[in-house]
Amino acid sequence: MLHYVTINIDGAIIRAPKGTSVLDTAIEYGICIPHLCHVPGLSDIGACRLCIVENVVNGHSQITTSCTLKVQEGMVIRSNTERIRRLRHNIAELLVAEAPNSRAIQDIAVRCGVKKVRYPFRNNNCVLCGRCVRACSEIWHANAIGFIGRGKERHVERPLNLREEFCKGCDYCIQICPMTITPCDGPMKTGEEYLCGKCESQLIVTENIPEKCVWCELGKSFCGRYSGG
Amino acid sequence: MPKLATKEDLQAMERQLILDRKKVIKTVIICGGTGCKASRSQSVIDAINNELLTQEMESAVQLRVTGCHGFCEQGPIVVIEPDNTFYCHVTPEDAHDIVAGTLKNGEIIERLLYTDPVSGRKIRTELEIPFYQAQDRQLLSHNREINPYSIEDYIANGGFSALSKAVDGLTPEEIIHEVKVSGLRGRGGGGFPTGRKWTQCHQAPGDEKYVICNADEGDPGAYMDRCVLEGNPYLVLEGMMIGAYAVGAQKGYIYVRNEYPLAVKHSRLAVQQARKYGLLGEGILGSSFSFDVDVARGGGAFVCGESTALMASLEGKVGEPHPKDVHTAVNGLWNKPTLLNNVETWANIPPIILKGAKWFSSKGTKGSKGTKIIALTGRIKNTGLVEIAMGTTIRDIVFDIGGGAMDGKAIKAVQTGGPSGGCLPVEEFDLPIDFDVLHEAGSMVGSGGMVVMDESSCMVDVANYFLTFLQDESCGLCVPCRLGIDRMLEIITDITEGCGTPAQIDLLEELADTVTQASLCGLGKTAANPVLSTLRYFREEYEAHINDKKCPAGVCKALIEYYIDPEKCTGCGVCKSACIHGAISGEKKELHIIDPALCQKCGICINECKFEAIQVK
Repeated sequence: MLHYVTINIDGAIIRAPKGTSVLDTAIEYGICIPHLCHVPGLSDIGACRLCIVENVVNGHSQITTSCTLKVQEGMVIRSNTERIRRLRHNIAELLVAEAPNSRAIQDIAVRCGVKKVRYPFRNNNCVLCGRCVRACSEIWHANAIGFIGRGKERHVERPLNLREEFCKGCDYCIQICPMTITPCDGPMKTGEEYLCGKCESQLIVTENIPEKCVWCELGKSFCGRYSGG
Repeated sequence: MPKLATKEDLQAMERQLILDRKKVIKTVIICGGTGCKASRSQSVIDAINNELLTQEMESAVQLRVTGCHGFCEQGPIVVIEPDNTFYCHVTPEDAHDIVAGTLKNGEIIERLLYTDPVSGRKIRTELEIPFYQAQDRQLLSHNREINPYSIEDYIANGGFSALSKAVDGLTPEEIIHEVKVSGLRGRGGGGFPTGRKWTQCHQAPGDEKYVICNADEGDPGAYMDRCVLEGNPYLVLEGMMIGAYAVGAQKGYIYVRNEYPLAVKHSRLAVQQARKYGLLGEGILGSSFSFDVDVARGGGAFVCGESTALMASLEGKVGEPHPKDVHTAVNGLWNKPTLLNNVETWANIPPIILKGAKWFSSKGTKGSKGTKIIALTGRIKNTGLVEIAMGTTIRDIVFDIGGGAMDGKAIKAVQTGGPSGGCLPVEEFDLPIDFDVLHEAGSMVGSGGMVVMDESSCMVDVANYFLTFLQDESCGLCVPCRLGIDRMLEIITDITEGCGTPAQIDLLEELADTVTQASLCGLGKTAANPVLSTLRYFREEYEAHINDKKCPAGVCKALIEYYIDPEKCTGCGVCKSACIHGAISGEKKELHIIDPALCQKCGICINECKFEAIQVK
């Protein structure tokens, strides 16, 4: 039997089954918390930090990722405060400066209010969200890819850089990679990266019509609708 | 070897050992800590051993190789008991004089005595040396009494009596209460109240619990834990045993970094010896308490000093931190309640149990009790390991214990708390060593590293150094830490290379704030401290780099130029022949000139010039 707890997200009183995360609960109830590394059905590692919320405990608010935070009775969550919006903006800016070519990440950045990027663009092919690594090990139990190195050296690689035979060729890693979603205006050339801002103008139109506000699989939670799996 | 089955066995053994030791008249104590070993104390040990044999003194004199004495700069250190004569910078050639002179005839060898750099006088005993006088050595003073290879030494000095007091007479609740009342706070960096952590772990449901000693010390310039674990591993072990008894754990781990070979060796040996005496195992000292400890070696990642990363590493997984929404005291190693404390925290437990919480809390300030070991390094006269009562001011540490600046330069700042700490300017030197006060000032006590800097240090360059360290050591899992540190470093590099803009300072501040608030673990949350504290106290240096394109300390290579002072140059040509880049030209006995296009600012010529003619502008 499921045990339910009552929590408060942005003033809304919500009943959620014990053991679920705050992010899942919020999405379920149509509260928009941006996220990137979270994929339904996979474990959460709190890597992208976009889904940060304020967890108010005894009057003190602690900042933590909602994907790794499990609901508890009486929990008070603030997902859209000035402080959170500013931090989320800065994180999204860091992400999009790293991979301006990804439409998914551009989308997220624009929705987090990034209009101008204050860092030099880098055309990286990976933002290390870890979606592929977790899907490979948790859904397919293949362990064909994993993280290697630490800090700046961290990258996704096959075991020992050579064991290809673990891969089952399911292509799931490619499907859920935020870099593989077709860019809006085609790939940008190195050195000519910019934020097109088209998402932003669309956003104004579709802000009140959540169903239409879907640019990609990743954008879904921005509008609140959530189709699961 | 007899097992110590009861409390009485332990007391009897202690009495017997003390009686045996009274027969020894003279003892030569030689430091075998890593600092002195690096100054070749092993050859001194061998030489003195040989001399004792050749002069047939081996029965009358006891030789004791101990852990660190703290004054590492003066190593190798030799102390002769019972007179407590203190010799420093001892070489193997001095062995004959020490044995024939001091040990046989009680002569004092003047040349080996410590010279006070301030007054210039020779000092005979440790207690008279200003470096030691200003300290309050509660933990470190044991080091010279104990050979880390001998559990008997520890028992003879009252070792394990706190454990026997705890398991035979105190309930776990009473022990936790004592630790709580003592006001002890975690010595590893966070300063979390130890008693509260113990309570959480004690109350956490479950029969299977663990205790861990975190000896994965990795701050640049810090080696407090190393010396405690190398010099007196039994003290740490006893603390862990008391903690395990209090929270109900059956198994403990000492997680020590593999770069500390001596600490690994000594802690392993301590565990083996304790097992032999039955101090680890089933039914310790006749009670129902059973406990065992294993030593685990860290693989060289700084981030594994973070509790969740350390536990992942112990479990055999990649050493990466995890979100800490549930405390590790409730859900830690293998998802069981786990009590993790730092080496120094554990070492403080036996004295608290033995002498009482009141004794401990009589030292220190309102929020920070007891003593703290500090690794004092940098541009000062006396460097080494010092132990002071909490609340001692930075000024006392730097000037009284450290002896002030070396080569007459003005002291500018002190970096406390390792890479996660901050830089405090000389104007703030009246601040006491106190968790809350230093945090308020933008730095932290941290694990206790203290690097003193003088006017030859550029604070932007210092921030650059620590960011580079953290960029290498960040695990790379979360975005604010991985990309945030990377971008902060990018901005600081711009500034040191003279292409910074005023807007970048604001961006740097905003980014630093984001990294602090949004990162996953303690490493990221404190990674911006070097930037924030230098910006807070040394903003004018940043501005000089950006607006005037000048490095006031003359460190940042892109912003400085070497030139030869025409009045001082004698035309000797030493610099010309020393310059590996061929940047210096000039005829013999005539003024030499540096070609800025060729000069790589390596500094070789400055070191070679005897007339101080080469200067930086």
